[in-house]
Amino acid sequence: MKNLISLDSLTDIVSNSVGILIIFAVINLIHDNNKTYQLEIPIEHRTELSPAFFMIKNDSILEMDTDVLFSNATVQATSGAAINERLFTLDYFDVLGKIDEGKGVSFFARDTATWPKFQELGKGNSKLTTALNKLDANKQFAFFFVYDSNDGEASGNGFEAFREAREYLKTRRIKTGWRPVNDEAPANICQDHFGKRCDFLPSYLGDIR
Amino acid sequence: MAMSRATRYARYNQGEKLEISLFPFLSIFLCVMGVLSFINVLNSFSTPQKIELTAQLEQGYKVAYQIFSLPDGIISVPPTKHLLKLKTEVDESDALVIEDILDRRSQSMQRLESHQGSVMNLALQPDMDSILETMLDIRTLNEIALKANYLYEEFLLFGIYPNGGSAYQKIRDIMSFTPDATSISVGLEPLDSNWTLNLNPNLGPNKDGTVE
Repeated sequence: MKNLISLDSLTDIVSNSVGILIIFAVINLIHDNNKTYQLEIPIEHRTELSPAFFMIKNDSILEMDTDVLFSNATVQATSGAAINERLFTLDYFDVLGKIDEGKGVSFFARDTATWPKFQELGKGNSKLTTALNKLDANKQFAFFFVYDSNDGEASGNGFEAFREAREYLKTRRIKTGWRPVNDEAPANICQDHFGKRCDFLPSYLGDIR
Repeated sequence: MAMSRATRYARYNQGEKLEISLFPFLSIFLCVMGVLSFINVLNSFSTPQKIELTAQLEQGYKVAYQIFSLPDGIISVPPTKHLLKLKTEVDESDALVIEDILDRRSQSMQRLESHQGSVMNLALQPDMDSILETMLDIRTLNEIALKANYLYEEFLLFGIYPNGGSAYQKIRDIMSFTPDATSISVGLEPLDSNWTLNLNPNLGPNKDGTVE
């Protein structure tokens, strides 16, 4: 008769391993169900630092050059394109604008294909890294308008990109603030005289005070 | 049909060791192991993680009033843990005010805790009166504690779920015009959709940052 290799010891080891794995899985499951994770959230505070604005949508981060945006908005306003709270083009990375008496200038992101992706963070030659690196921790903080719509994904559209950018800036000791935005409640920049809805505040973060 | 004894004996030669192949058994076994591992991995991704919001650099006397902002509205998780102690430290009229706030908060927590199924289905659209009342309660408690020289301060922590920005914006708009909100500290954090909230306010954190 053909000689067969004895698999007894192998079977023994495998069955023992599986048994232990099952026990671990059950214990893990029971333990996980009772566990609560504490999420440490930075608190907003008033500051003398001035905000540098960024917009995040679809894993892309756009530096908002306020000089360009406002001068383009002024051109549109003088040409009459901005009357009656109409949307107008700002000729800036497919961002549309709207002038609203109560909110200043509102910004609506459309196609983000030309925006830098957050995966470029930390890469020396990327536009995004350059934009974040030029922030002066003693004079500025970064304020992010983060699109919250998720299109069915587990994480919010811009949430992951925001967390990454915040971590990157934390290593450079630069404070960050953020606000969730969408087309109903768009990003808006305005002067202080518009009241508290134009407050852009950074948050304490770790040991950065 | 019954097999005769002769036929049964004929199948094996006496004196020859019976060898059984374990391959089919092992095959099924490994298959089961693979499926179990797969289910385990899948489970770890899909099971909602319970979270509790706390402030970074939190000092012991600061207490978070948690508001979770969802696409369908908000879920408020007011703190009740230290109010009984605060009540004993203040004068009678302030104690009555605290009791009233505590009652309302306990009812609100009871509604959340007694709900069958996912607590996330309990989100309500924020209405102006309830937001104003919340701000007034927080301000009142903070002022009472300050007056009694008792270390206690409530602040607002917002957890923003995907598509939950509108409800948050509505609350901040209301907060921008009420003087009651002026002195209240605020923090906000983006949350993943598979994070759910912890409704047991009496549990304290472990050293590793988790609560059992």
